[in-house]
Amino acid sequence: MGDRRPTNRAMFWRIICRLFGANPGRLFVMLLALGAGAAVTAALLNLQVDAKRRLTTEFRAFGANVLITPRDSGSKGFQPDASTLDSSLYERIPRRNGDDLVAKASLLYGIVRVAPWDARSQTSDSRRTTSAVLVGDQFFGHDLAEIFPSEIVAEPQVTAVMGVAPGVAVSGCELGEQLARQLGVQIQQFVELQSNGSSLFCFINRIRRFGGPEDSQILTWLVTAQELLKQKDRASVIALNVPGNPASVQQYVSQLQSSMADVDVRPIRQFTEGEAKIYNRISGLLTATVAFVLVLTGLCVMAAMTNVAMERKNDVGLMKAIGGSVHRVLRLFLAEAVLLGLAGGMIGAAAGILLSIGLGKAVFGVAARPRLIVYPVAVALTIIVAIISAYPLRRLASIRPASVFRGEA
Amino acid sequence: MFLRIVADSFGRRPRHKLLTGAALALGMGVATAALSVSLDVGDRLAKEFRSLGANLLVTPQADSLPLEIGGIDYRPVNAGAYLPEADLPKLKTIFWHNNIIAFSPVLEVRVSSWTPQHSPASATFVKPAANGDSILIGAWSNHSVALPDGRGFLTGLGQTNPWWRVDGAWFQDGAGECIVGKAFADRNSVIIGSPLYLATSSSSGLSLKVVGIFTGGGSEDNAVVTSLSIVQQYVGKPGQYRKLYVSALTKPEDDFARRDPATMNAGEFERWSCSPYVSSIAYSIRQVLPGADVRVVRRVAEGEGQILTRVRMLLWLVTGAALLAAALAVGASSAASVIERRTEIGLMKALGAGSGTVGFLLAAEQLLLAFVGGGAGYAIGIILARLLGERIFGAEPEPSLIVFFVIIALAAVVTILGSALPLHRAYRYEPAPILRGE
Repeated sequence: MGDRRPTNRAMFWRIICRLFGANPGRLFVMLLALGAGAAVTAALLNLQVDAKRRLTTEFRAFGANVLITPRDSGSKGFQPDASTLDSSLYERIPRRNGDDLVAKASLLYGIVRVAPWDARSQTSDSRRTTSAVLVGDQFFGHDLAEIFPSEIVAEPQVTAVMGVAPGVAVSGCELGEQLARQLGVQIQQFVELQSNGSSLFCFINRIRRFGGPEDSQILTWLVTAQELLKQKDRASVIALNVPGNPASVQQYVSQLQSSMADVDVRPIRQFTEGEAKIYNRISGLLTATVAFVLVLTGLCVMAAMTNVAMERKNDVGLMKAIGGSVHRVLRLFLAEAVLLGLAGGMIGAAAGILLSIGLGKAVFGVAARPRLIVYPVAVALTIIVAIISAYPLRRLASIRPASVFRGEA
Repeated sequence: MFLRIVADSFGRRPRHKLLTGAALALGMGVATAALSVSLDVGDRLAKEFRSLGANLLVTPQADSLPLEIGGIDYRPVNAGAYLPEADLPKLKTIFWHNNIIAFSPVLEVRVSSWTPQHSPASATFVKPAANGDSILIGAWSNHSVALPDGRGFLTGLGQTNPWWRVDGAWFQDGAGECIVGKAFADRNSVIIGSPLYLATSSSSGLSLKVVGIFTGGGSEDNAVVTSLSIVQQYVGKPGQYRKLYVSALTKPEDDFARRDPATMNAGEFERWSCSPYVSSIAYSIRQVLPGADVRVVRRVAEGEGQILTRVRMLLWLVTGAALLAAALAVGASSAASVIERRTEIGLMKALGAGSGTVGFLLAAEQLLLAFVGGGAGYAIGIILARLLGERIFGAEPEPSLIVFFVIIALAAVVTILGSALPLHRAYRYEPAPILRGE
């Protein structure tokens, strides 16, 4: 008995090879169905994982969603610079929430007098002087662009700096569109800023449109604003844009609050709540659609495979006629199904992951990161579907060889 | 005879036909569900995005520069211009009136406040030290706007700022009630039901009853909110407001939407103003509110547009994938059903049928299957789409006739394509070897 085993095994594989080779058309159809199923499964799974993450970074467009303010803000009445916090807190804010970068900006607000500088007469135009809000930003221009989404209205091709007068403090600044219109100034001109008797010239680098109160503000470096407003090392508020899903933002906020006892860390409800709602809707939609597509893809593949399997009657009849036991015949077909599932799954899943990288690029502009876990999952699912599709072959066990050969069944 | 052969083929092998039909129906079901959801999702999500609040801000054109820091305007009370409240019903007469889902005018004034405290000793209320400065915001809550056509439109802060959470109740219009921010209430130990006295430097006092405490998460948590008419009377600006928040359903902006309407020709302008872009809605509001400056709240509008575009694209891709998978699976099963009928084809040819007749016969069978399977698939898909829509958005997508025709056409194309290759091979079959079983 023992010496027949290798022969049996060789025969087993030989039959399997024949089963594959006998009908290339059928083999192609089965591989196509399984491969297509695997490709869709892999592409959707990969895209779904990636899309949810990508979506949270899209919320960045809404700007700041968390504010750090002095604890007693609002209680000291109507001085905009009445309560401030230590601007060095900026450094203590973790730069990451999970894998995602947190955008942060340390801002100091104050009200200053602004006057356009007339280069010809070398004086400030006092008739066009107006009060405006000055915003100092730690990494002026860079942080701000991440926190307040804006559109650049005017920007010079080449930055050319013209002198005002020797020995005068000059800084760079950006103007909100509304303020620039009110003052009648353009980029690459100077404005004079005055506050509490000190004054400063600043050169307009850019004009921006925010569609918010920032449109009537002047933006400059934090140190410049601190000097002009006499608020050394102070800031009014630190604005954060924390990416991530609703739960992780909440966790980040409570961690931050517990590490900073003397300030208030509060989410801006308008955005955190809206984001949470939208995130849940979209991710629910995505999960549900993907689940439906996967289940029905599986069913489709199964139906197609079953159809193919039904025509195996002749093969089964022949095998039984020459003495194959039902058990061994079924084992043959199951082995065939597993191999087909493996091959179809491996090819299909690889194609699907490649597809999802391309699709991710098309939707979010960034290639979806291939997740290795998706590959074995998709292959395993395909094999399972292939095996289940071979299940109707059990019915073939009751086939009587003679009736098959007579062409009756 | 033709019909008899077709009918016979269905009758003789119901199992096979049923399986192929089931594959078709399931595939087309997925396709229908995905298509219906994708067609519908834009509108649904646009509504969801309104939970972010107003995306348009209307201010007087002649206004002085606002000195706004963290939501508080530091301008003196008498500076700046105002807009007439009487013009507001016109907002619901513009072309896009159905897209305007909420608006609320706002008038703010700086006040100092105090809450009288009950003194147990004398059993009377005494005036304690002032609470300090605060902001009194006049706005609408569940205000019914009388429209020119006689109907009413209910709107207010609750609709434009849906993220506000109010403990207690909203104030009634003109009833001398107010709601206070959480921070204000905590600081001044104000509770629901307590009276609140307010005064500015220039005018006499005002007494309001606190009916609710709200959390907004912004600087408004330090403010007192009451009805617009009270504030108008109080500051002597009857029928006027300073800011108007408008929340409108919009379509994501594309490059065309960002163009300046002044540079468009008549045809382009027509197309631009007939699309609900946020900029074209702003334009039509400007037409009905003279002297107003309508600005797009970029922060809200831009993020919304970006995400909407992305999600839409994503869903179309998922739909595409579903269609592709369905097509391949259906194609594969129709191919299989043709392959297994070689003997039959051989017999027909042996009896003198031409290749064309055989092909036509098989194609007719497949098409019949496609229509039945496609129809069943459409029904399955519509049920799925309803389930999905109800679970996620709480509203079902409208069944669309276009989807039905697309699905039937797709089913037909896919089955024909799937059977084309084996049919092509069937042309070349020699009857004799097939019948001999070779």
